[in-house]
Amino acid sequence: MTAGEPSRGLPVVTVFFCKADRIYETLEPIDIRYQISLPPGSSLRAIERSVLWYTEGKGEEDLEIHFFERLTDRAAVSGAAPEGRFAVGLPRSPLSYEGLIVKIRWCVRIRLFFASGRDFVSEHVFDLGRIPAAISGKVS
Amino acid sequence: MRLPRFFAKKRGDRRTGAEVWGSIGDALFHSILLAAGLVFAAMLLTGSAVPEWRINHHFLEARATVVGKGLARRAVSGSTESTWQPCIRLQYPTTTGPEEAWAVRGDPAANRSAAAKPLAAISLGSELVCWYDPQAPGVVVLERGYNWWMWALTLLLPGALIAFGGSGVARAFAAWGKSEERQAALGNRPLPTGRKPGLEDCPGVPSCEDLVNSPGTILAFRLPIESGESWTLLGFGLFALLWNAVLVVLAVNAGFDLLGGRIDWLLLAILVPFLAVGVAGIVVFIRALILATAVGTTQVEISDHPLLPGGRYEVLLGQGGAGVFTSLEMAVELEEQATFRQGTDTRTERVVVWRTSLNSWQDVQLAPGTRFEGRGEFQVPATAMHSFNSEHNSLTWRVVIRGRPAHWPTFIRSFPVLIYPAAPRLGPSDQEATP
Repeated sequence: MTAGEPSRGLPVVTVFFCKADRIYETLEPIDIRYQISLPPGSSLRAIERSVLWYTEGKGEEDLEIHFFERLTDRAAVSGAAPEGRFAVGLPRSPLSYEGLIVKIRWCVRIRLFFASGRDFVSEHVFDLGRIPAAISGKVS
Repeated sequence: MRLPRFFAKKRGDRRTGAEVWGSIGDALFHSILLAAGLVFAAMLLTGSAVPEWRINHHFLEARATVVGKGLARRAVSGSTESTWQPCIRLQYPTTTGPEEAWAVRGDPAANRSAAAKPLAAISLGSELVCWYDPQAPGVVVLERGYNWWMWALTLLLPGALIAFGGSGVARAFAAWGKSEERQAALGNRPLPTGRKPGLEDCPGVPSCEDLVNSPGTILAFRLPIESGESWTLLGFGLFALLWNAVLVVLAVNAGFDLLGGRIDWLLLAILVPFLAVGVAGIVVFIRALILATAVGTTQVEISDHPLLPGGRYEVLLGQGGAGVFTSLEMAVELEEQATFRQGTDTRTERVVVWRTSLNSWQDVQLAPGTRFEGRGEFQVPATAMHSFNSEHNSLTWRVVIRGRPAHWPTFIRSFPVLIYPAAPRLGPSDQEATP
C-alpha cells in the first residue's frame, strides 16, 4: 500500500498492490486497487490509469507505456472514483534495474484531472523481476 | 486564477520546468520561426518572385522604336560612389494607345564608360522587342526569364523556417493539455523488440537477427566486431587530410609572398604550430593504420546466441597476425550507456558495471598464415540483467579481447552479445498473493 501526499488541498491516492512486496515476475498479472480522497469542493473531469516504465539516471528519460486508460465520461469517472481497480498482464521485459548511470523503474500512475483545469499525479513504483543492483566495476 | 508554476518537482532531487510553461515556450519558439519564415517568404514573393512571374506570364509583347539612350546614376548606400545603369527610351504601341517609357538594358556598371558600352550597339530609330504591363503600360522590359538563384532562395530559406516552425507548432499543439503517459500512449515510438524462436516478444531488448546470420568455423556463431576501431581510424584520416589541406593552402600563400620578396610574419607564425599539428595528425593516423593492420584480425565465435541467464556458453578466440603477444585476455563486460544533453551538446557516458575474465594467455607466439585459437567458458549469472536499448539509454553485453603485442601498444576489440530475460518463474504460490 502506498499513500499520496497529505492534505493541504491536495487529493490523497492510496494504491494497493496484489503482492505485498511489490515484486512481480515477468508475464505475471498485476492487480491494482486504489482509493482517492478528494479535497472538499473539488470534482474530477477525467482519470488516467497507467502502468509504465521509465529510465532514470544520467541519460535523458525514456518512457514507455505498457497499459493506459483514460476515463472521461461522467459515468466512467464516477465508476473509477473514489475507488477503482484494474488488472493487466506484465511483459517479459524490460526488467527493473538499479544501475550506476542507467536505472529502469516500473510504476503505476493514477492521474486526476480536476474540473478547475489542474491535474494531480500519484506514482507508485514496483519491481519487475529480481535483478540485483549494479556495483561499480564489479569483477567476478 | 492560479498561474502555472515555473518549476515542478519530479522524482528524487530532479527538478524540471512545469509542463505548461514548457509547452508555452516550445510553441512560442516555433511560432517565432514560423512567423519569420512566412514574413521572409512574403517579402521574397512580393518583392521579386511575383513581379518576375507577372513579367513572364502577364506582360504583352510589342515592337518598340528606340527614341533615346542614357545612363541612370544610382548612389551606393553608405558610400560616396555610384553605379551606372544603361537605359533605353522606347516608343511602343499598347492596347490603350502609343506609350513612351524608359527600360533598363543590361547590368549596372561601376564606371560610366563601361556602362555606356552596350548602348553603343543600339542606334536611335532601330526596333526592339519589348514587353509591357497591360495594367500599367508605362512599365516596360526588354528581357524576360527567371532568376533561379532567387527562386531557390525563396523556396529553401523560408521553406526550411516554415517547415521547422510549423512542425514544431503542430507538435506543441498536439501535446497541449496531454499528460506524458497519454502522449507516450498516442505516440508511435516502437522500441526494438527482441524475439528468440520459442520465446515471447521482449520489449526493449535489441533484435539478434544481425548477430546470428554468420556461422562460425568451429562454434555455432561468429560474432561481428564493433566498428569503433574503424571509425577511429577514419576519424584520424579525415582530420589529417583536412588539416593538412588547410596547411597546404596557407603554405602556398606564404611561398608566393616569399617569391614576391615579401615576408608575412603573422602568416609564418601561424604556419609553425599548424605544421606541427599537421605532422602529428599524419603520424597518429599512420600509427593507427599500422596497428590496425599489423596486429591481425581477431575473430570470436560462440556456441549459442542469444544468451539466457543461467546458461553456459563456450567462446572461441581466433587471433591472426605475426610475432609475439605478451598477453591476450578474453573477458565479458556489461556496459551502461547514457546519452544526455549538456547545453547545446549531446553527450554519451559509458560505465562498465560488471566484468568477468573468461581466459588469458601469456607470451603467445604467432606465425604468419596461422592463427592462435583459445577457448573460454561463460556462465551467465542467473540474476544477470538482460541487454536493453531505448532512445537515450542502453545496457550492452560484449566479449572483449585485450591484447598486448610486443613492441606495439595494447589493443581492445569488442564483440557484442545479447542476453535475453530469463523464462518466467510463475508458480501457484505467486498466484495466491492476491489480497
